Amino acid sequence: MCVKKVPDTADAEVVLRPDGRGIKEEDLAFGINEWDNYAVEEAIRIKETHGGRVTVATIGSADSEDVLRRCLAMGADEAIMVEAAPFKGSDPYGIAKGLRGVVAKGSYELVLAGVQAGDDGFGMVAPVLAGYLGWTHATLVTSISLEGTNVAVTRELEGGLEETLRLALPAVLAIQTGINEPRYVSIMGIRKVRSKAIPVLDLAAVGLAAGEVGESANMLREIGLAVPPAGTEAEMIKGTPAEVAQKILDIIRERGGVA
Amino acid sequence: MAKVFVVVEHRQGAIRDATFELVTLARELERAFGLEPAAVVIGHNVRHFALTLSKYLPETIVVESEALENFRYETYAAVLKDLIEKETPLVTLCPHSAFGMELFPRLSVETGRPCATDCVKVEMDNLNFVVVRSIYSGKINSRLALGSSGGYLITVRGGSYAPAPEGARAGAIRDVPPPAFDAPFRTEFLGYREAAAGAIDISLAPFLLSIGRGIKDPENIPKAEELAAKLGAVLSCSRPVVDKKWLAKERQVGTSGRTVKPKVYLAMGISGAFQHLAGIKGSGVFIAVNRDSKAPIFRAADYGVVEDMFKIIDALKEKSGR
Repeated sequence: MCVKKVPDTADAEVVLRPDGRGIKEEDLAFGINEWDNYAVEEAIRIKETHGGRVTVATIGSADSEDVLRRCLAMGADEAIMVEAAPFKGSDPYGIAKGLRGVVAKGSYELVLAGVQAGDDGFGMVAPVLAGYLGWTHATLVTSISLEGTNVAVTRELEGGLEETLRLALPAVLAIQTGINEPRYVSIMGIRKVRSKAIPVLDLAAVGLAAGEVGESANMLREIGLAVPPAGTEAEMIKGTPAEVAQKILDIIRERGGVA
Repeated sequence: MAKVFVVVEHRQGAIRDATFELVTLARELERAFGLEPAAVVIGHNVRHFALTLSKYLPETIVVESEALENFRYETYAAVLKDLIEKETPLVTLCPHSAFGMELFPRLSVETGRPCATDCVKVEMDNLNFVVVRSIYSGKINSRLALGSSGGYLITVRGGSYAPAPEGARAGAIRDVPPPAFDAPFRTEFLGYREAAAGAIDISLAPFLLSIGRGIKDPENIPKAEELAAKLGAVLSCSRPVVDKKWLAKERQVGTSGRTVKPKVYLAMGISGAFQHLAGIKGSGVFIAVNRDSKAPIFRAADYGVVEDMFKIIDALKEKSGR
């Protein structure tokens, strides 16, 4: 299980830092990446049905510990943190290299991750990790069914269509949102796992040397951030809710010819 | 001269629209930098696709085999790896779709060539590629330079380029045999299934009231249902509402749900992810209500209201007087 902590930007204002090298994070709420939350739930359901152990891993620093504890409270058996500092500014290849080291240390049959992260949205870590490991993979997974040495999955395609595939294990699966209904995590639940030890792995422990990951090793180099050009803006309707409602009804009737 | 490959996406007997958007990009690179574009058609009995593509681009490469009948990353990546290593295109393009997302990151590892995904713009500077990606829920654009390499892989977001008009070219068609596949295969295609089938077909509705994350709680769904009934609208929604199982998949508007073209689209509490907006292209009048004045939906809507959606729902119910 690979997870990432991300800022919620769907319903928040995103402001560039003055240096243009990142966004202002102070006013944003951080939490587990939405796709990863579904993936954690799916891993725990697989354990509840078929047995086995669930290990959750992140490349993070002390401030990502709460995300790992949340996964433990959901039912993961152990959590591993890879020290984030050498991965600062890493592209998805760097992150996948770090996770490869974590997977190589155990004997896993299945690795689940979210399809993509809500911040940069590359959707690359899971299939790249599978490539590094030489495992099979599937992305956009909307159901999983274990069948001995294989796993059958459905993948979400476009237009409401899905496809069904069978993959030989071991496999890396990138989980799509909506695959399940993630369980609620109570404060009590998090308290129960408060004292569970979370090992922290350094670069050498995941089989990497300095310079193999991080900004200098990137194949994808960020050279600038910008607010997208405004483009055509909607004509804004202003007024009290009652006035706005009347204008909406007028538009619907006059321009839409319905209602 | 350096080549640009366009990987043709097809499914269930039809070329997918996104392919023709990449044809536009490939022609742009042809015009501006003299790259030679070629379409790559992979499949089984797909020669008719090559005939179509040959009207658009100077060359179409066809790789056919029974093993390629249905898309699997395993076989398609093997074909493309072989082709890319032999023909060394400067860049290979693919839609950022369920097809491209499955194939290109893996192909990147197999070929050692850098891959940039979900790009909305592709630029070239002295044979180096710079791409623009839309990140942080569409609120920031990021420019990425691809590290120096003999060749690049890029997946492009749907709708970033206009589909190419059909050309009158008589491009060459060249058959290339597939490589020997590593047997036994470790992936198997089993079939397609319709996930959004149901009693309601939102694509037929002339008036859609669509709700998103802003509905907040399943207990609020009846409020939207009542308003839809009063207005004579059909209720639809964006992805998060379906993910949470508050409405059925058949009501989802967007790339992975239904594509709609109503006369009126009234969106409430929807931020406007591009996957959602791609599903309402060509709709009539589009009105968006959202609390966040910076929500991307206001860049797509005709009319916008920055307000709490529940206040507008209540006011509309009162005014509509049915």
